[in-house]
Amino acid sequence: MVSHAPARNGWVVWFTFLVGLLLSVSPLPQFMEIFRPLWLALLLAFWCLALPHKIGMTTAWMLGLAEDVLYGTLLGQNALILTLITFLMMSLQQRMRMFPMWQQCLVILVVFGLAQLVQLWLSALTGNRQPTLALVLPALVSALLWPWVSYGLRGLRKRLKIN
Amino acid sequence: MRLLVLAVLSVTLMVVDARFTVLKPVRSQMSLVLMQSYWIADLPQRLYQGVASQFGSRTELIAENEKLKTEALLLQGRLQKLAALTEQNVRLRELLNSSALVNEKVEVAELIGMDPNPFTHRIIINKGERDGVVLGQPVLDARGLMGQVVELMPYTSRVLLLTDTTHSIPVQVNRNGLRAIASGTGNPERLELRHVADTADIKEGDLLVSSGLGQRFPAGYPVATVKEVIHDSGQPFAIVRAVPTAALNRSRYLLLVFSDGRSPEQRAAEAAQAQEAIDHPGEAAATPATPAAATPAATPAATPAKPAAPAASSAAPSHAPASRAPATSKPPVKPAATKPPAAAPATPRERQ
Repeated sequence: MVSHAPARNGWVVWFTFLVGLLLSVSPLPQFMEIFRPLWLALLLAFWCLALPHKIGMTTAWMLGLAEDVLYGTLLGQNALILTLITFLMMSLQQRMRMFPMWQQCLVILVVFGLAQLVQLWLSALTGNRQPTLALVLPALVSALLWPWVSYGLRGLRKRLKIN
Repeated sequence: MRLLVLAVLSVTLMVVDARFTVLKPVRSQMSLVLMQSYWIADLPQRLYQGVASQFGSRTELIAENEKLKTEALLLQGRLQKLAALTEQNVRLRELLNSSALVNEKVEVAELIGMDPNPFTHRIIINKGERDGVVLGQPVLDARGLMGQVVELMPYTSRVLLLTDTTHSIPVQVNRNGLRAIASGTGNPERLELRHVADTADIKEGDLLVSSGLGQRFPAGYPVATVKEVIHDSGQPFAIVRAVPTAALNRSRYLLLVFSDGRSPEQRAAEAAQAQEAIDHPGEAAATPATPAAATPAATPAATPAKPAAPAASSAAPSHAPASRAPATSKPPVKPAATKPPAAAPATPRERQ
């Protein structure tokens, strides 16, 4: 059934990624900077669960490269991390569908936390070491945002019949 | 499988990007498109400011106008004094036969984004490679030094601020010339002076200016004011904390300093040419007015030519023939040609 339906409204997915890129550089007050959620990772997590035939690790990798250019980090650093997140989410896909929302949040917290640890490790290798504990905060905020992102995008997907 | 390929690909990219410069053009091409997102993300605030300035009340505008007028008056007054002081400074420097202080050219840039990573202090400005910005270029605001350019993109560039943990700047105390190195702490309101002896003459309220020793920042720009000096007998060095004079996290308009990138030899040759250009019309018209008129021009090349004015004005009326000119123009050229005294005076002589 799904494979027969023509691909529709695929541009909406890319539009959400564009918004995600904007959100990841939007100015925030100084004290809120350390809480900035991983917008791109959240969006990728949702879309790779919803449209696994369309959004995969290659998309994640390219978006990661874009993020690297925006952040001025080494090319490939965020690409690696987003690919890793997408891989973990895709391998947990069957379970994520069964989980209630709070368990999904926990999974997101763990996966993003792991990714942030890899991020810490990479940035320590390149010389900008960061305070360890504060690095988990974005993962926590992202996990708390997951229900809203998830419900919002699901509504959008139903409304526009994206597949 | 795909994960493996992509992971290896990103690690390779990271290594190549860290070690070689092959990927710089790729990055700059990508940034051409992507950096627009900083601009778009900044748009709401820009719009708000635009609307606010559109609907600013008349009385407010009048008050602001008055304020600006008085400020302009004050600054003009100060500028008059400055002109005299600059001239005096140049003369004194020539007496000391030291290299002339060159007027740096500045250009205004606008802040378009902050780095989203809270642990680094970097900002993004709206001038890039196409505007002539170079790597390592110093950036100022109205009150002092802010940082230096660390990444170039076609129309934008990234500036590392003084307070970043990876940044240090050579400074000296304005009061007595004591040299030190100010390192960033990751706190936007604090710099720390490293390895200052416990007995060093430095105290609260001292102004720290850039010393120009690192060959990166121009000398003499204010960097920070000392906030506290802690003498701890258990520590080998005094702990000196300073507050940057520039509003590092508040300034929206910045100045890019285009310092003189020419080598002393080039500068000498150009100064000699400028000198000659001034001398030639002087000979043609045979009036002292021309060199004197040329002196107020404050371009770097013309400033060292100032001492030529009294010499030429005294010489020109008596020695109108062109044959005598090289002898009169030679002594003033010497201080103007900053470094090599042998090469510089030779240039005008060869040409005439």
